[in-house]
Amino acid sequence: MIHFQNVTKEFDNQTALRDISFSIEKGQMVFVTGPSGSGKTTLLKLIYLAERPDSGEIIIDEWETARIKESLIPFVRRNIGIVFQDFRLLENRTVFENIALALRIRGISEKETKTRTYDALKTVNLRHKSDSYPKTLSGGEQQRVVIARAIVTEPVILLADEPTGNLDPDTAEGVMKTFKNVHAKGTTILVATHNRELYRNTGKRILRLDSGNLAGEEIA
Amino acid sequence: MITPYALKLAVQSLLKEKWINLLSVMTIAAGLLIISVSFFALYNIDIATKKLPEKFSMTVYLDNSLQKERLDSITDALRKNRAVLSVRYISKDEAMKELKSYLKNSDYILEGLEDNPLPDSMEIKLRKDDVGQETAQQIAREALQLKGVTEVDYGEKFLSTLTAIKKGFKVIGLAFVVVLSTGIIFVCYSTVKILFYRRSEEIETFKLLGATKGFIRTPFLIEGAVIGTAGGLLSLVGCFSLYYTVFLRLGSNMPLFKAILFPANLFLPLPVIGMLLGITGAAIALGRLRY
Repeated sequence: MIHFQNVTKEFDNQTALRDISFSIEKGQMVFVTGPSGSGKTTLLKLIYLAERPDSGEIIIDEWETARIKESLIPFVRRNIGIVFQDFRLLENRTVFENIALALRIRGISEKETKTRTYDALKTVNLRHKSDSYPKTLSGGEQQRVVIARAIVTEPVILLADEPTGNLDPDTAEGVMKTFKNVHAKGTTILVATHNRELYRNTGKRILRLDSGNLAGEEIA
Repeated sequence: MITPYALKLAVQSLLKEKWINLLSVMTIAAGLLIISVSFFALYNIDIATKKLPEKFSMTVYLDNSLQKERLDSITDALRKNRAVLSVRYISKDEAMKELKSYLKNSDYILEGLEDNPLPDSMEIKLRKDDVGQETAQQIAREALQLKGVTEVDYGEKFLSTLTAIKKGFKVIGLAFVVVLSTGIIFVCYSTVKILFYRRSEEIETFKLLGATKGFIRTPFLIEGAVIGTAGGLLSLVGCFSLYYTVFLRLGSNMPLFKAILFPANLFLPLPVIGMLLGITGAAIALGRLRY
């Protein structure tokens, strides 16, 4: 599902990722961990094509993305749900509008958009906040809106960048529960986090990054 | 493809950025109004110059000793040219009569003449649409090759002036249309570019969620079309208001203004022209942006 082969990425002669190789099979849930600046976010960005590698090969759901045509990028991204570290919620749109946007971009009918958006809101327990604006929500609620937007399209791959970064332990547990439910439906999930509590004793695969190198792999 | 959601995004943006959009609409309206007024002036000048050829004629001077058969043959030869509307034979006596009638009370200047010095001639009238320097020159050349024809007079200066006036106005009109249309396209281009930059964060999120360029572009193209159409409609209202409040009122006091024609039908496509210019401006802006 996700295949990296000798991938290197530099920013202004600073190496963000160096000669990274790994594969994630369909339906796996994997954690990418490491200290700040180790390259976790860059790795996710390479998957959702916000960045291109300087060298190496990346295959995402059978798309060879390292040299993919720009016009095809949206179609690769439509297979991926992303939980951004900085949320990327549109402040001038309601919670409902923010989640529905992901479906409207895919040309889903208004009727289906409505049903699926409310279903996603129920999944994250925010049905009552559908008409609220992001600014009026707490950090945890905003995070759940982002998760709802990421899962509403039923993506093949779900990427989450520090999904519990600003959350209290109870809310973080709720977020992880949601991920487990999505994973149970067969979605491949990649979670970038420096929070060990998230993956401790989960039995999931861990990719450890350090200064842009893949420092090791283990099972939690 | 124009989806209901693209329309919704466009309307939301038009309302959110109403002051920028209103300013653009008014600028476009002013530009189109200037084009319309110029066109209105050109149209009336063109009508006026079209009436001038009705008075145009060529004179073919003949030998005085020509027989009727020869005169008929010259008439037939001249009529063969498609541009010729009519050929009228004027004998030297008729020419003298016409001269006297033209001179009216000043005909005493002819009293000293013993013989009629005027030659026999033929007056050629051309079809209105064919009146032009080249046609007249060609007919004159053909006539001079006919036996019995001594000279051809066709008011070269009149024709060259008429041609120059028509050409001059066409060039000025065209230059006006090109310059102002470019200006209008630039206004739409700048407006869409500003709107785009103001929404750049939102567009970045759209992209990351899988939006195609078409999905991102369509609302901006709709905005360009709406701004252009609104500008066109406003200029149309301006044209009608200008005519009915200024020219018609002036016409009641000054007869000159009564002769001015208002081609209302030709102004009706203004909103469509505005829309096309708006879309063009928006398309150029979106084509040049990196996103």
